[in-house]
Amino acid sequence: MSLMKYLALDKVANFFNIIRLNGGIRGSLYKLYRQDEIKDGVLIGEDKFGNKYYENPRYFYGRNRWVEYADQYYLNYDASQVPAEWYGWLHYKTDLPPHQDPSRPKYKWMAEFTENLSGTTGQYTPYSTTRPKIEPWVPKKAGQ
Amino acid sequence: MLRQPLTRALALSSPTRVAPVVPAARRFAEQVSVQPEKVEVFIDDKPVYVLPGTTVLQAAAQVGVEIPRFCYHERLAVAGNCRMCLVEVEKSPKPVAACAMPVMKGMRVKTNSDLTRKAREGVMEFLLVNHPLDCPICDQGGECDLQDQSMAFGSDRSRFTDIHFSGKRAVEDKDVGPLIKTIMTRCIHCTRCIRFASEVAGVDDFGTTGRGTDMQVGTYVEKMFLSELSGNIIDLCPVGALTSKPYSFAARPWETRRIDSVDVLDPLGSNIVVATRTNEVLRILPRTNEEINEEWLSDKSRFACDGLKRQRLVTPMLKDSRGNLTPVEWEDAIVAAARALRDCPPDKILAVAGDLADAEALIALKDFVNRLGSENTYTEQYFPTGGSGTDLRSSYLLNTKIANVEDADFVLLIGTNVRFEAPLLNARIRKAFIHNETDVALIGPKVDLTYEYTYVGDSASLVKDLAAGTSSNEVLKRLESAKRPVVILGADQLKTEEGAALLAYTQELALRLQDNLQDKEWKVLNVLQRTASQVAALDIGYKQGVGEALAAGPRVVYLLGADGGVVTREALPKDTVVIYQGHHGDAGASIADVVLPGAAYTEKRATYVNAEGRAQQTLPAVTPPGLARDDWKIIRALSEVSGAGLPYDNLDEIRERLSQVSPALVAYGDVQANNYFAQARALAKSLQKPVSGKLDVQLKQLEDYFMTDAISRASPTMAKCVQAVLKQKTSPY
Repeated sequence: MSLMKYLALDKVANFFNIIRLNGGIRGSLYKLYRQDEIKDGVLIGEDKFGNKYYENPRYFYGRNRWVEYADQYYLNYDASQVPAEWYGWLHYKTDLPPHQDPSRPKYKWMAEFTENLSGTTGQYTPYSTTRPKIEPWVPKKAGQ
Repeated sequence: MLRQPLTRALALSSPTRVAPVVPAARRFAEQVSVQPEKVEVFIDDKPVYVLPGTTVLQAAAQVGVEIPRFCYHERLAVAGNCRMCLVEVEKSPKPVAACAMPVMKGMRVKTNSDLTRKAREGVMEFLLVNHPLDCPICDQGGECDLQDQSMAFGSDRSRFTDIHFSGKRAVEDKDVGPLIKTIMTRCIHCTRCIRFASEVAGVDDFGTTGRGTDMQVGTYVEKMFLSELSGNIIDLCPVGALTSKPYSFAARPWETRRIDSVDVLDPLGSNIVVATRTNEVLRILPRTNEEINEEWLSDKSRFACDGLKRQRLVTPMLKDSRGNLTPVEWEDAIVAAARALRDCPPDKILAVAGDLADAEALIALKDFVNRLGSENTYTEQYFPTGGSGTDLRSSYLLNTKIANVEDADFVLLIGTNVRFEAPLLNARIRKAFIHNETDVALIGPKVDLTYEYTYVGDSASLVKDLAAGTSSNEVLKRLESAKRPVVILGADQLKTEEGAALLAYTQELALRLQDNLQDKEWKVLNVLQRTASQVAALDIGYKQGVGEALAAGPRVVYLLGADGGVVTREALPKDTVVIYQGHHGDAGASIADVVLPGAAYTEKRATYVNAEGRAQQTLPAVTPPGLARDDWKIIRALSEVSGAGLPYDNLDEIRERLSQVSPALVAYGDVQANNYFAQARALAKSLQKPVSGKLDVQLKQLEDYFMTDAISRASPTMAKCVQAVLKQKTSPY
C-alpha cells in the first residue's frame, strides 16, 4: 500500500483528477447541475445520438458503467434514450460494446430505435371506440 | 250516453266502489257541494274522520298508513283484482280488499295483524309463482313495486314446488310501437295500463284475453298503441312488463341524477324530472303538478330528449369566402356579428324569436335591439295587432286555467286540435267529459279528440253568429245555459287574415257569456298558444307580423332560435346578414351567416311562461355541449362588443329587469288573475268584420304531432314514431 493511499491522499488526487477530466471548475459545476454527479472514467464509445458511455472499475459493480446523455437533451434525458445496442453493455448483459462485438446480427427489417414518446406530441393515442355523446350539426357545403 | 267502460259506469251507481278524488286544484267544485257528515273509523286503533264513500285504503293513507297495492291507482278506476291490499277488519269473517271497500261507521281496520300479514304473504307467493326471476336484467329493477313489496311484505320462501317441474308460465311479447317495450311474462295483470288507455288516453285498445293462468294483457290483434300519452303506461306499470324502449338497458335509477325542470315542447309547461348520468340526458319523467300535468306527460315531451344529442350546434360558425359555414372561435363570431349590427342603420335591424326561447334571452335581445335604436323585435308565431293587441294579457292566455277546465260544464273549441296542440289539456277535457258530464263542441276541421263532441262546422262565420247571438245552432243555447262554459280559441287561427276578426268575435262571445254567469270568478275566454315561448315574448313586448318587417328589406336579421321557417333566404335581400343563435342546426342555422351556439332547455336556468301565464323555471341538468353558452350571456357579450352594453351581468340582475317589465314573469309557480276583459272586448269591437273563411289546424293526425320543433325534428325516436304510425295506418293488421 503506497503512502498516499495510507494517508488517504489518493482521494484528494482523485478529486482533482475528476475535476480536470470534467472540464475544470466551470465544466464540473455544469455537469453537477445537469446530472447531479461527476465521475472519472474511460470513454468506451458513443452512440448515434451523441450519448457517451463510460466505464471505471474503481467504482463498485452496478455503478461502474454509466451513460452521459448528449448535450442536446439538456435536462430532458431519460433511460429510454439509450438505444437497444448499448442497453446490453450498460446493464452487464454483455461485456462487449456494440462496436467491438462482431456477432451482433444486423438485418434490414430491424426497426429504427425510438425513445419513449409518452407525454409528448408524438405519443401513441388509441382511437376511441365509443360513440360521441353529442353529434354536432354539419352545415351543408355551398352549392349543394 | 255511456261515457266510460261498462264496469266503471255500473260501479259509479253503487256507492260501494266509488273513490271520490278531491284534488287540491278543483276549487270550483268545492264551493258548491255541501260537505256530508264525516264518519269515524279506526285504522290500527287510531281514530280518523273521513267522508262516507272513502275507501279503507284512502282512510289509512290519511293517518300515514300505507297499504301495499298493485292494481289500485288514485287517478284510475278501482279494479280490486290484485288482492295485495287485503286487510283484516274486525267482525268480518274474511280479509277485505282495502282499495275497493268503502268505510263504515266504527269500522276497525288492522293493517298489521297476523291475518293481514298472512294474506299479503299468500298473495305475494301466488304473484311470484309465475313472475320471472330476471330482476338483474330487468329495466324496472330499483324502481319496481313488486321488488320492493316482496322485500317488505313477502315471505322468504315459496311452498309452491310445482314450477320446479313444470316451469313458469311464459307469455309472448307484444309489439305496441317504438316507445314501449313489452316483456309480458313479467305482467302481474294489475290492468293499470288497460284502465289508463280506456279512461285517460281514450284509446280503448288494451284488454285481457283468456282467464286464470292463460290470462294475457294485450291489444287482441297486434297493433301499435296509437296515443299521444302512451308513455305514461310505462310509469304506471308496477313491474317491468312495460318499459321504455329508447331507455332500455341504459341505466339504473340509483345511478342517475334527477333534476326538476319544466318541459318546453308544448305550451303547457308540464313539470318534468330530467334523469342524467355523465353529462347526458338519459330520460325524462313527469313530476306531479296538480295545476298543470297531474302526473302525466305527453310522448313528445318524454321521448324527444334524444333529440338533444343530435344536430347540435357546438361551436360558433362564420361563413367563409366560399360561402361555407366554418367553425371559428367565439371572439371572431362575436366580433363579426357586432360589426354587422353596428354598421347597419337601426331601422334595418330585425330580431325574430322562435319557439323555444326563454324569457331571459327574450328580454336581453329586446333590450339590446332597442339600445341599437331599433324597435323591430318580432315573434315567429302570429298574433293580431288591431284592437287592444297584446296590451291586455287576458286576450292571449288560457284564462280559465288548465286545472279548472275539469269543472267546466260546456267546452267550445274553436279552430284547435287540443289533442295534439296540448295533449294534457285534452286529457283534462276528457276527464271532465267522463266524470263531470261536460259536453264539448268543436268549430274547425273534424278531428279525433278521443271523446265525443258536437260538431258545429268549420266555417268562421259560425263564430260570428254565436258571438252576435243570432245563431240558430243548438250550441248557442247550450253555451248560454251553461254555468261554467269554456271557450278555447286555437292560436293557429290568428295567423290567417281573418284572425283579428275571429279573436274579436271569440272575445265578444266569451265575455257575453261571462257577464251572465252567477260565478263571477269564472273566466270563459281562452286562447291556446302553440309554443312555449310565445306568452313570455308577448309579455315582454315582442311585436307580431314578421311578414311586414321582412318586406321592408332588413339588412341584419337576428334569429333567436327561429326555426319555424317564417324567415327564409328568398324573402331577404341578397346582402342581408343573418345571425342565428340557438341550439340545433335546423331551418334557422342553415340560412345563417353567423351561428352562435346556445343552450337547450335542459342546459340552462331559464324562465318559461306557459299558456296560462304561469312562470316556471328550468334548471340545468347537463352542461351545454362544446362551446355553447347560456343564451342571454351570448347577447350580453355581443352587446358589450357592439358598444351598447346591457346593464345586467348575472341572472339575478336580468330577472330584476324581467320583473320591471312584468312582475308575473318572475312569480314562479303562480298565475296572476287577468282583468280588463271588458276593455279588451270594447277595443276589439272595431275589428268585428265579416268573416267567410274556413278554419283549419296544422296538427290533424297523430303523425303530425311528433315532430314540430327543432328538438323533436332531431330526435330519432320521434322519427321512428312517425314511421310506425304511418305504417300502422297503411297496413292496420
